[in-house]
Amino acid sequence: MPKTEYLQGALDLLVLQTLVLGPNHGWGIQQRIQQVSREALSVSHGSLYPALHRLEAGGFLSSEMTASDNNRRARVYRLTPAGRRRLEAEADDWRAFALAIRRVLQAG
Amino acid sequence: MRWMDLIRALLQRRRAEREIDDELAFHIAMETEANRGRGMSPDAARLAALRSFGGVAQAKALVRDVRTFRIESLWQDLCHAAHTLFAQWRFTVPAVSMLALAIGIATAMFTIIDALVLRPVPFTEPERLAHLWMTGEHGGLTLVQPPVLRAWRNTPGIEAAESALSAMALVEIGDTVATRRIAAVTPGLFTMLGGVRPVRGRLFTATEGRPGEDDRVLISEAAWRTLFNADPQTVGRVMTVDGERLTVVGILPAAFRFPSWDTDLWRPTQLSRQDDEMALAYVRFAAGAPREEVLRRATAMAHAADARTASLRARVSPLVDVPDNYSARALPLLGGAVVLVFFVLCANVCGLLLARLTGRWREFGTRAAIGASRGRLIQQALVESGLLGFAGLTFGVMVAWALVGVARTLLPEPVLLQTLNPMNIDRRALAVTSAAGILATIAAGLLPAWLGTRIDAIDALRVAERGGSETRRARALTRVLLIVEVSLACTLLIGATLLTRSFVNLARADRGLDVSGVTSLWLSLPATAGDAASRPLLAHAVEDDVRQLPGVHQIAWSYGVPPHHGILSFGDWLSDVPASQPVNMMVDRYLVSPEFFSLYRIPIVHGRTFDRSDPKTSVIVSERFAQALWPGRDAVGRTFKFESEGTFHVIGVTREINYPSMDASVDLPEYYQPYAEMGSAPMLSLRCNPRCPDAAVIRRNFAAAHPDISVEDAVPVDARYLAELARPRASAALATTFALIALVAVAGGLFSILSYAVTRRRREFGIRSALGASPQRIRRLVLRDGVVVGAIGLGIGALVAATLARTLATLQYGVTAADPVSCTIVFGVLSLIVLGASSLPARAASVIDPLVLLREE
Repeated sequence: MPKTEYLQGALDLLVLQTLVLGPNHGWGIQQRIQQVSREALSVSHGSLYPALHRLEAGGFLSSEMTASDNNRRARVYRLTPAGRRRLEAEADDWRAFALAIRRVLQAG
Repeated sequence: MRWMDLIRALLQRRRAEREIDDELAFHIAMETEANRGRGMSPDAARLAALRSFGGVAQAKALVRDVRTFRIESLWQDLCHAAHTLFAQWRFTVPAVSMLALAIGIATAMFTIIDALVLRPVPFTEPERLAHLWMTGEHGGLTLVQPPVLRAWRNTPGIEAAESALSAMALVEIGDTVATRRIAAVTPGLFTMLGGVRPVRGRLFTATEGRPGEDDRVLISEAAWRTLFNADPQTVGRVMTVDGERLTVVGILPAAFRFPSWDTDLWRPTQLSRQDDEMALAYVRFAAGAPREEVLRRATAMAHAADARTASLRARVSPLVDVPDNYSARALPLLGGAVVLVFFVLCANVCGLLLARLTGRWREFGTRAAIGASRGRLIQQALVESGLLGFAGLTFGVMVAWALVGVARTLLPEPVLLQTLNPMNIDRRALAVTSAAGILATIAAGLLPAWLGTRIDAIDALRVAERGGSETRRARALTRVLLIVEVSLACTLLIGATLLTRSFVNLARADRGLDVSGVTSLWLSLPATAGDAASRPLLAHAVEDDVRQLPGVHQIAWSYGVPPHHGILSFGDWLSDVPASQPVNMMVDRYLVSPEFFSLYRIPIVHGRTFDRSDPKTSVIVSERFAQALWPGRDAVGRTFKFESEGTFHVIGVTREINYPSMDASVDLPEYYQPYAEMGSAPMLSLRCNPRCPDAAVIRRNFAAAHPDISVEDAVPVDARYLAELARPRASAALATTFALIALVAVAGGLFSILSYAVTRRRREFGIRSALGASPQRIRRLVLRDGVVVGAIGLGIGALVAATLARTLATLQYGVTAADPVSCTIVFGVLSLIVLGASSLPARAASVIDPLVLLREE
C-alpha cells in the first residue's frame, strides 16, 4: 500500500502542476506530462482519470463539460484555490524529499 | 457542497455516466488524431489509441468508483440488501415480525403508561391546571358557592377559574332514550384548558348560560355517532335532556375528555340561577406564581365571599384520580415486562442475523480477499439490518395501533377514570417507536455486523475450503444470546404464573355470599313517576311484574348491591360501652329489604333479620363491624352513634361480605338499614332458577308495563364480581401474553440456531457416524447443546425472579414466589420447550447419512 500512496501522491502533484499553466482536458494533461518530462513519465489512463475525479471530489479541481472543436464534448479541468495551496505544499514536500534522497546518494 | 455533488451524482446518474463516456471518448478521439498526425492510417490510429488506453470499461469503472463514492455504494448495498431479504423470506418474515412485535408492544405500552402516568391531563401546560376546593379539619367542600368562584377569578396568581359539574342525564332524541353524562360548564372552561376545537359547529360564547341563553348543548363525537348516527346536519338540531329542549351548537372531538372520560354532553351555565347551584372549581394558575402564596390569597378571597367557608382553607387536587395502589404498582412492572419481551425478541433477531452472517462467511471472506475493507463489509451488514429494522418499524406501528385499539376497549373503567388522555398513538408515541426501532436494529444488528465481518481473508478462504464452521466467537455469542433469552423468558414466566395464580385465588376467594343465579338491576325513575305517597304502590306493581319473569323466585329491594359497595360512611363510630373511645373507620352502608339476606344467602349469625315494621334506626351489622365496636361481646341489643346521624339499635349480626381485592383497605365492614321507601334510583336483586333472563328480556318487560321506568344496568352479580377483578385479570392476561411471546421466541430461537448449527456441522456428524457413532450418541450431542443453554438460562432467570418477587409481592394474593405449584409449572414448561426445540435438530443430526454426504462432495 505505501507504494501506491507514494505514486498516487506523485501523480496528484504532476496533475496539479500541469494545470497551473491553465485549464486543460484529460488528454491534454496526459500529453503535457509526457512532453515536459521528455517521455520519461507516462501516465496511464486508468490512473489519470480516477485521479482527476478524485481531485475534483476533494475540491482541488473544478471541471465543466465543454464543446470542443470538431463537435466533441470534453471535460475541462481547472485548478481551484485549494488546489493551488495543495500544489505548493506538495511541491515543498517533494523538493525536501528529493533533496534528502540526493544527499543520501551523494554521501554514498 | 461535496454532499450536494454526491447527491446530484446520485440523482443524475445517467447524465454523469454519459459525461464519463463523453470524456473518455474524447480522449480516444484525440489520441487517434495524434496517431494519424504521426502518419498512421485511420484504422490503425484508432486501434493504437484503443490499445494504449487499455480497457475503456475498466477505466470507466474506476472513475465511477471515485465519483460516486459512498452514496452510490450505499445505494448498491440497499438494493442488494432488499433483494437478498426478499429472496430469503424464510429468514426475513420471522425476523421482521419479531422486530415489529417488539416495537409494537413497546409503543402500545408507552401509550398506555403515557396516558395513565406521564400525561394524564392532555391540555396546554397541564401543571398549571388544578381542581381548587376548600378543606378543613373535618372534611371540606368540594363544591363552592358561585361568589367564591368569582372571587377566585379576581385572585392574583390565578389566571382563570371555571366550573364543570357533571351528572347523569336522560337524553331523548326522537324515539331513542339513553342516559349520558352531562357537565354544566362555565363558557370560559374550554379556553382555560386550552387547545379545544370543535369538530363541527362552535364552542359556547361568553354570554351563553344566562337565563334565556342556556338552552344550548355541546355533544361529544361519540354521542354524535351513537345518538345522531353521525348525521352531518346535527348542529342546530334539538334534543331533549332531562325534559328540557336543547339546541346542539357544536361537536367536540373524541380526544376531548373533561371533566371525566365518559362525559358526552356539555351545557353552559353562568352560575346565576336562583336555585342554589354550586360550582366545582377548576383553575389555571399564572405562570411562575408561588403556589403557597396564591392558595393563601384564594383562602382569604373565599372567606370574604362566603362566610360558611370561614374555618376552611383552599386546597388543590389534580384534575384526575391519581393511580390507585394497584395500578401504581402494576404499571411499572408491566412496563418492565415489556422491556424484557423487547430484549428477548431483539436477542432472537440478533441470533438469527448472526447465524445468517456466519453462513455468508465464504462470501465475506472472498470479498475481503479481493480487497473489500472491513468498513465496507460492516456497512453492507448494517444496511441489511437497517432495512430489516425499517420494515420492523413500519409493521411495528401497525401492531401498536392494533394493540392500543384493543387496550382502549379492554381497559377496566377504574383505570380509565385515571386519565383524560384519549390514548392515541401521538407524536410522543411515534418518537418512542422510532427510538425503539433504532434501538432494536442496533441491538439486533450491530454485534452480528461486527462479529460476522471480523474475517481474516486467508483464514476465511481456508475455512471455506474445509466446508466451514462457525467461528468460536460467533458460537459463544449465540450461546450467550440464547442463555439471555431463556433467563428473560423464565423471569417473565415466573411473574406471569404468580399473577395468574393470584387472580385465580382472588376469583375463588370466599365472598361471604352466594350469587349464582342472582341478577341485580338499577331502576331509574323519572321525577314525574309518582309522588312519595304513590311510590309504595308503584313498588308493589313493579314487584308483581318482575315475579312474572321466567325463573324468578326471590326479589329484594336495596340501595347498594354487592360488590359495588353501598353508601360509604366515613367518620367516628361510638359504641354504647361506657367510657369507650370512638372508632374512626369507613363502613359500607346498605339499605335493604328483609329478603336481601336470604336472597344473597348471607347468614344471620346472631339476632334476627328485618321485618316491615322496623324503624330506620334498627340496624344489622356485620361481624367485623361488631368486632370493632364491641370486641369480644355480643352486639345484638346494643346501640351506637355515628357522627350527627343519631343513635342506632343493633338487632342482628351477619356474616362478613368480602370484597375481592389485593388491597385489604378496600374491603370494608358493613351495616344494614331497613329499606324504607323506593327512592328515585332503587336497585332490585332477583334470584332465579337456574339463571335470570337476559337484560334485554327484563328491559322489554319493563318497557311494556312501566314505560316511565328505565332499567339501567341488569347484570348477573357473578359478572359484576368478575368486572371488579378486571385489573388483576388484565395484569395476569398481559403478563401471560408477554411470557407466551417470550416462550415462542425462545423456542423459535433455540430451534433455528440449533438447526443451523446442525447444518454447519453436517460433515462432522457424517464423519462421526462413519466412524461408528450411534444415532443416539449424535442426537445426545446436539441435545446437550440445547439443554446446557436451557439449564443455565433457567438458573439465572430463577435468581432474577427471586429478587423481583419482592416488588411483585404487593400484587400477589394467596401465593408466594416460592410457591411449589408455580415453580413446577415454570420449570416444566421451560424444560419442555428446551427439549422440544432441541429434539428436532437433534433428530436431523442423527439421520445424516455419510454416504449421501460423500456423494454431495
